[in-house]
Amino acid sequence: MESFRQAFELLFPPDRELLQIIGVTLRMSFFSTLISCLIGLPLGSLIGSKSFRGKSFIKKLIHTLMGLPPVVAGLIVYSLFTHYGPFGKLNMLFTVRVMVVAQVMLITPVVIGLTSSFIESASKPVIETARGLGFSGLKTARLCIGEGRSSLFSVVLNAFGRSIAEVGAVSIVGGNIQWKTRVMTTAIMLETNKGKFSFALALGIILLIIAFAVNAVASFIVKENADG
Amino acid sequence: MVEIKNLKKIYGERTVLDIPGLEFRDGETAALAGANGSGKTTLLKILAGIIKGSEGGFHIPENVLYMPQSSYAFRGDTLRNITISGADRKEALELLEKLELSHLAGKKAKSLSGGELQRLSLCRVLSRKCDLLLLDEPTSACDAKGAELVIKAIKDYQRESGCTVIMSTHSPLLALNAADRLIILNGGKVETDGSPEETLANPETQWAKSFVAGWKI
Repeated sequence: MESFRQAFELLFPPDRELLQIIGVTLRMSFFSTLISCLIGLPLGSLIGSKSFRGKSFIKKLIHTLMGLPPVVAGLIVYSLFTHYGPFGKLNMLFTVRVMVVAQVMLITPVVIGLTSSFIESASKPVIETARGLGFSGLKTARLCIGEGRSSLFSVVLNAFGRSIAEVGAVSIVGGNIQWKTRVMTTAIMLETNKGKFSFALALGIILLIIAFAVNAVASFIVKENADG
Repeated sequence: MVEIKNLKKIYGERTVLDIPGLEFRDGETAALAGANGSGKTTLLKILAGIIKGSEGGFHIPENVLYMPQSSYAFRGDTLRNITISGADRKEALELLEKLELSHLAGKKAKSLSGGELQRLSLCRVLSRKCDLLLLDEPTSACDAKGAELVIKAIKDYQRESGCTVIMSTHSPLLALNAADRLIILNGGKVETDGSPEETLANPETQWAKSFVAGWKI
């Protein structure tokens, strides 16, 4: 109950630092989801709809990367963007941008894997029907997206959920710097380490509320658009 | 003219289709029969370009339409499921009327029964023009009345367009009432090829005889 009270006090009136942390969290999650989907949805569709040599190997690789430990992704990105790394000159380490890069590395395989599985199974009858009617590849693709938009939206939400809940990679590359790269999860970790369990739990409740709100809005949009 | 030469489909070490030569005349309606796994659907899918043959080849007209065995309902109402193919509203309503589905025009297609959906799927295919119509078990989900409507619609379409029709079936009713030719496949090979009446009355081979005996007319 103490945690709920603290969560309420942080939100009403809103705590300035909390708002900044929520802002960074949402910004990071939004851009990492957006970039992952821009890469992952077309690639996943391609892998799911085409038969080609090495497909089985690529699918195994994607499934392995779907389980990539966040700290490993964080370490890889850290080594790439550290001062002596190949991208060191970009001075991106401990910024939100590099946190997005780490998140993209983690989420893109998830988007590719889920999209290709969906296209392979659920889209098969759509593709067969459309091709049977002599539709062009473009019209078939449009139909597949239209028919499976709820499933594809679930893929996007899954990516967003993974992004907003991630802590390992972002703490390594972001550094959990106050007023700069601190996000909800790294803030929770910090407060827990400080022994402020109740406050950490309050932050966790707020994180859950944000995730729920995003999911609710997204589900509402999908439902509004669905007429099938 | 549809011309098939040395067409084979091989999955691993299993040959599921092996047709050295087969021809279909323009305007002909042929029924493909055979037990499950005899190669009917495989042959239709290869001709429709859904899957590729492993060996050999075939020559088909340019405009081909194919109706899969499993009917798919697109999102939206029944009418949209036909107009999606490019047909206008009037044509779509006429087809629905013909297949006795007009009372379901505004209903969500995903809520239709199996038989209704199969008739809707046929409406969608018949709303387009073609030179070769490939139908995979077009009456499999229909009741007797539905099957009659489907047979009539196929015959009318064939007569009006002059197209060649090749359809797979487990229904002797469809073979007898809609087809000029009945080809029985067995293990991916042509077992018998002749008129439906002849084939059903006097099957050429022992295997065809036992297969036809299983058909209840």
